Amino acid sequence: MAKILVAIKRVVDYNVRIRLKPDGSGVATEGVKLSINPFDEIALEEALRMRDRGAAEEVIVASIGPAETQQQLRTALAMGADRAVLVQADAGAVVEPLTAARTLLALVEREKPQIVILGKQAIDDDNNQTGQMLAALWDRPQATFASTIELKDDKATVRREVDTGLETLEVDLPAVFTTDLRLNEPRYVKLPDIMKAKKKPLETVTFTDLGVTPKQQVEVSHYEPPPVRQKGVMVKDVAELVGALKKRGLV
Amino acid sequence: MKNAPLEALKALVGPAGYLDAGPDMDLYLTDFRRLHRGRSPLVLLPANTGQVAQVVRICAQHRIGIVPQGGNTGYCGGATPDDSGTQVILALQRLNRIRQIDPLGDAITVEAGCTLAQVRQAAESADRLFPLSLGSEGTCQIGGNVATNAGGTAVLRYGMMRALVLGLEVVLADGRVIEGLKPLRKDNSGYRLHELFIGSEGTLGIVTAACLKLFPRPVERATALAAVADPAAAVQLLSALRTAAGEQLSTFELMPRLAVELTSRHIPGVRDPFSSAYEWYVLTELAASNSGSGSGIQTTLEEILAAHATDAVVATNLQQREALWRMRETVPEAQRHAGASIKHDIAVPISVIARFIREAGDWVTANVPDGQLIAYGHLGDGNLHFNIQQRPDTDAAQFLARAPHIHRTIHDLVAAYGGTFSAEHGIGQLKLEDMRRYKSPTELAVMHAMKQALDPQGILNPGKVLPAAGT
Ligand SMILES: Cc1cc2nc3c(=O)[nH]c(=O)nc-3n(C[C@H](O)[C@H](O)[C@H](O)COP(=O)(O)OP(=O)(O)OC[C@H]3O[C@@H](n4cnc5c(N)ncnc54)[C@H](O)[C@@H]3O)c2cc1C
Repeated sequence: MAKILVAIKRVVDYNVRIRLKPDGSGVATEGVKLSINPFDEIALEEALRMRDRGAAEEVIVASIGPAETQQQLRTALAMGADRAVLVQADAGAVVEPLTAARTLLALVEREKPQIVILGKQAIDDDNNQTGQMLAALWDRPQATFASTIELKDDKATVRREVDTGLETLEVDLPAVFTTDLRLNEPRYVKLPDIMKAKKKPLETVTFTDLGVTPKQQVEVSHYEPPPVRQKGVMVKDVAELVGALKKRGLV
Repeated sequence: MKNAPLEALKALVGPAGYLDAGPDMDLYLTDFRRLHRGRSPLVLLPANTGQVAQVVRICAQHRIGIVPQGGNTGYCGGATPDDSGTQVILALQRLNRIRQIDPLGDAITVEAGCTLAQVRQAAESADRLFPLSLGSEGTCQIGGNVATNAGGTAVLRYGMMRALVLGLEVVLADGRVIEGLKPLRKDNSGYRLHELFIGSEGTLGIVTAACLKLFPRPVERATALAAVADPAAAVQLLSALRTAAGEQLSTFELMPRLAVELTSRHIPGVRDPFSSAYEWYVLTELAASNSGSGSGIQTTLEEILAAHATDAVVATNLQQREALWRMRETVPEAQRHAGASIKHDIAVPISVIARFIREAGDWVTANVPDGQLIAYGHLGDGNLHFNIQQRPDTDAAQFLARAPHIHRTIHDLVAAYGGTFSAEHGIGQLKLEDMRRYKSPTELAVMHAMKQALDPQGILNPGKVLPAAGT
């Protein structure tokens, strides 16, 4: 019975204007909308479509995060995942990519999926490492930044957008995929599915249960906001533009 | 028209303070819907309240009509001069300073020419909300919002502009100034004078600044697009949400199938989120300003929808929320792409609104074969944009030629249901006939008396709001 494992992360919503805590120790999350990392939502959508086309029987969605992450897992169940696993971390704990990859590996060993799909990166830390690390630890192929994935027998053909154009890869399954923005457009959650999701299994486990010891290897010294953009000036005509550029020594 | 007073006005405001020719001037002479076009010798752009007062004084002396203008987004031609070429336009755009923000008192004092978006932004940077929300917020101005008593999509929870104003600074028709900007929540010392100017469309005084209420910013929102069988089911849903969510219910907007079709067809990025088609839809939102109750409002919304809606989609992130809102907000734009439309801005009591839609809709079907009803809008306020859209491949001119007859029939029906022919867009010069027909003689007489008391020479926005007496 083929399974797909999808990893999702709870992050500050993509459309929220990020603010820093006054002491620069991190991003303010108090009273801020938290959602599924958009790339992970795309990963889930892709998994659901694969399952609905008959390529798998079950979609398992997993997340590592504080207890409140149940909200995002319920959303994932309402979108259509069959069951969910929360690896509960302490509130405010930083889970580094290597810890995340080791945790996911433990789940992979437990669930034995054919396919693992993750977002190419989480929009909070922009690390872009977890999928790659997981593939290495698992010793299976990886196809990252997928913009299309086609499955045939026990192979997958993946198109990736790279600087020079489109690259096509073929990988053997089981494999790890990470998603790019153009892979698909995630569905809206429908009311009947929300009701159904309330009855779907959501299991909570700890790092210890999975035999993982979270490690913190990177220390963040401080956060600061990007420099404020200078206000533009209007010029009357090309002559004035050239004059202004010359004056600033730019041409 | 005599030159001397015009020259005096120009000298007063200086070269940067007026337009008397050129293509830029054209923008001030036509309304945004291009229904009205006027003539004017001079557009005045005074820089501050003092200059506005002096402008009015000169105009009063020479009995020159003044047409106040904000962002010129009004729907009824209220900011467009007549075609006599004698009225000057007084545009407030240069009075655009945020004077003060008082987060403790939840008040903000702004000049009339600030755009609504600018004020919302200023409130947000103080971690506060100024709730008035209109599709035109980037262009319309606070003075215009006050003068039209604007409504929009947040009325259900926060009220119309009137409910958001604590005080006003107003230049009277003789150039005197009422400095009424106290940020007081209570002040029963005599008549609340500033109330008079709210919704007066520039006919009683010129608003130069306003002191407005601020609110805590909602931090959690639950947004859904629900499908319902008919408007009666929508009203049931409204009532259930009110009971369950109280003041957290902040949006309740009705849309028919045609609105979903037109927006998905004509507006990039808008798509029908359902896999099957439904007759009617409701965009609804609950908002909470304290975090923690977040999953609370989500659950409330889901439970009520499960009990009262045929189907629903729920936004799981802000991007989906914005996409649902975009559908609602671009209905007017999509209508423009789809051809001509005959519009009504009506309100009827919520208890009879479903019956009204059925009866008026049946009339349209039977009597306007080249048109289709697209009744959408602020159902939570009993206010609908009861529009009739030209069908594809019909003749626009022929369709529009019947507008007066259609307006008359719809407005008569609205009156029979105890409603109003102008819920939020005002009167301007567009609905003078309706004023005469639907307002009682007593109401009109009192309005004329108010006008007489405040503007005896009739120089403030002449020919607007009040139909000429006795004709
Ligand atoms: C896309 C779009 C969506 C809209 N949605 C809504 C909506 O949901 N709800 C709603 O209520 N309206 C809506 N409107 C209509 C319009 O935006 C509002 O009526 C708005 O309040 C007008 O503001 P303005 O600054 O553009 O005023 P203008 O159009 O410039 O003027 C309107 C009237 O106010 C008078 N006036 C303007 N400024 C002053 C002043 N400082 N002192 C005295 N009188 C003054 C003018 O003389 C005129 O009579 C919409 C318009 C558009 C284009």
